[in-house]
Amino acid sequence: MAKQNTAGSLEKKTFSQWVSQKKIQQRLVIITFLFVPLLLLLVFTYIPFGKMIQFSFYDMKYIGPKVWVGLKNYIDVFKRPECFQSLLVSVYYMGGAVVQLALALFFATLMVFKVKGASIFKGCMFFPYLICGIAVGFIFKFFYARGYVLDSILQIFGMDLENIPMWLQDKSINNISLAATSVWRYTGQNMILFLGAMMSVDTDLYEAASLDGANKWHQFIYIILPSIKSIVVLNLILSISGSLSAFEPPYVITNGTMGTGTYFVIMNRLAHENQKVGLACAMAIVLLAIIIVCTVAQKLFFKYVFDDGTSDESKAAVRKRKRAEKAARKGGNRA
Amino acid sequence: MKKETLKRAAALSMASMMVLSLAACGGQETEEASGENSSANVPAINDITLGEDYQDVKADIKILTNRTDIVDKVYKGYAEQFMELYPNITVEYEGITDYEESLQLRLSTGDWGDICYIPSSVDKSELSTYFTPMGDFDTLDGIYNYCQEKTSDGVVYGIANGGTASGVAYNKRIWEEAGITELPKTPDEFIDDLKQIQDKTDAIPLYTNFAAGWTMGAWNDYTGIAATGDPDFKNNKLLHTKDPFSKKDDMTGPYAVFYTLYEAVNQKLVEEDPASSDWESSKGKINSGEIATMVLGSWCVEQFKGAGDQGDDIGYMPFPISIDGKQYVSTGGNYSYGINCQASEDNQIAAMLYVKWLLEESPIFSDEGSIPALKSGEMPDCLDGLEGAELLSDNPAQDGEEGLYDDMCNESELLTGDYAVSEVLEAALYDSDTLDNMMKTWNEKWTSAQENLGVEVTE
Repeated sequence: MAKQNTAGSLEKKTFSQWVSQKKIQQRLVIITFLFVPLLLLLVFTYIPFGKMIQFSFYDMKYIGPKVWVGLKNYIDVFKRPECFQSLLVSVYYMGGAVVQLALALFFATLMVFKVKGASIFKGCMFFPYLICGIAVGFIFKFFYARGYVLDSILQIFGMDLENIPMWLQDKSINNISLAATSVWRYTGQNMILFLGAMMSVDTDLYEAASLDGANKWHQFIYIILPSIKSIVVLNLILSISGSLSAFEPPYVITNGTMGTGTYFVIMNRLAHENQKVGLACAMAIVLLAIIIVCTVAQKLFFKYVFDDGTSDESKAAVRKRKRAEKAARKGGNRA
Repeated sequence: MKKETLKRAAALSMASMMVLSLAACGGQETEEASGENSSANVPAINDITLGEDYQDVKADIKILTNRTDIVDKVYKGYAEQFMELYPNITVEYEGITDYEESLQLRLSTGDWGDICYIPSSVDKSELSTYFTPMGDFDTLDGIYNYCQEKTSDGVVYGIANGGTASGVAYNKRIWEEAGITELPKTPDEFIDDLKQIQDKTDAIPLYTNFAAGWTMGAWNDYTGIAATGDPDFKNNKLLHTKDPFSKKDDMTGPYAVFYTLYEAVNQKLVEEDPASSDWESSKGKINSGEIATMVLGSWCVEQFKGAGDQGDDIGYMPFPISIDGKQYVSTGGNYSYGINCQASEDNQIAAMLYVKWLLEESPIFSDEGSIPALKSGEMPDCLDGLEGAELLSDNPAQDGEEGLYDDMCNESELLTGDYAVSEVLEAALYDSDTLDNMMKTWNEKWTSAQENLGVEVTE
């Protein structure tokens, strides 16, 4: 073999020799396997994204000529009051995200200890995630409609229709109603993710802890939570950036009227009702920037306060401990 | 040996198939390349005699429609009737949900079929890019209604599938029970009548259908002829008017239209819960008398009549605005048929035949209760209630300003879509803003749109 190789390297290699080399073969396999996914990624993600950036500099409609306007679209985004007011609506969805994570953690913890009918319960909780967002919208449109499902249920429990608020019309409550639909939809999915992470915790630890007198709450705080910290942080970041781009509930249920218009709904309206495609593209890019900033800020925050699950102690905790040690040393010296 | 020959035969047939298919590709390409010219031999719609000309044309044509609800029954039936007349032509329908948006995208590819309803987003200046000329405006205008809507440079590119009048649908029985003997002629009379209905009957005086969205956009249709009595208002005067939304002393103009909506909502004469109203069930409710009034185009009358067993109670009246004592009703074309100018010549001719048949011989207009496409056609029964009012349709814009109305609406975000009207309802519902204040803002938006588009303000 060795001899052949040296002989081969002296002569000019034929193509079939070149191609049958191990290194080349490895590369060829990698390239052929990667080609399809990369092509899809390029065609359906990066090229459209590049186009969107391009469009954001034009005054254009879907059909017809486009006119280069430079940064005017971006300036307009910052001048229009409703664009940034709509981000305030997202605060409701962020609140919803926190509730959703808390609920998911609660149910996941319940289920990690032996419960009867856990799989049925899991199935029921996860089911809403399988329904498409538009269908969820229609379900809740009727759920909240005056005199329909929710009102009837409350009336069975003795509430008077006069005292029940109009879930979609009352401005003090309609955004909460809408955010609740997305909590309903995503709690199950979060729960499954948490449960998956919790399963990897060694069950001996629970046993050892209970021998030491730790109750379930202690077990949760000192064993479960530290072990799944990284996935909690990840879910929180995903939910917060998701709530900035909330679209389906307000679009389907209220069409963004009555003060429920989120950033996405307004963007959609400008692009499709008013044909301001360039402006909508600029809005999309501004939102992208906002989401990136939010994500980085959260990441830094969690790294500092809680640590992101990669080391044992957070920076804040380390600093606190060092300060305490220093104080103790000083105190010791004085004594 | 035998095996070998078989193989060879197979290889040969494969090769010939490939060559043939290549040739076919080539043929198609040349055809497409000359697509621009292929409409040169297509006849004008008025030069065709149905049932006699072009009996030898062979083609498979596809027609796109937004009426997914009836495409498989009613429209298919029309196609079958036509195919009896022209056995060599096959007509196939395709129903599209989300019609406007899908068509915007499909049109630009050129490969969408042969006939479609021209989406409202296609500007007049772009008509010639996508559609086959149907004839001269001067000739066709004498034959068909609403030709001007799809005319560019004197050439007609689409003919409306009949038309609709913009008035108000109401339940005659409920209005009588409330003791109303004379139909309202002004916004204030209308509001008073609604109050009377509220006091004397159990019906909801005016149902806004707010949640459906497009039902709000429908109010925009009344700001032209119904509010001013002037067929030049919408496409010409409005664009050059300073502050068109200001209040007028005689209660006419766009202000009066939005005043009607604002007052009805503000005085709680509408459904209790606009945010959860439901369009489908509202049809049955106006039929049975739970709803007294709805402000929608005349196309809705047939649907309301069919939604229950008290169809005879449904009436239709002009919008309650009088200009010098007279009421006007605007009528406008429905979607217009357009023919794909990039299809093959035979397909274009076949498409022209089918469009002519639909417009002139099919029962489509009496089925849908719309104003017929032919000027000589008879008005549908459901519009009897409009007698006494004058029916007008908007005049076309002057040369060079064909797309200006759409541009102004898009730029100002007013009079188009549902959102601006929804804002009026919200302001009235929550009492968060006065109408005068809103109209002031609208005037400002209109002015800034005029400035941005460089429109001369003359009035």
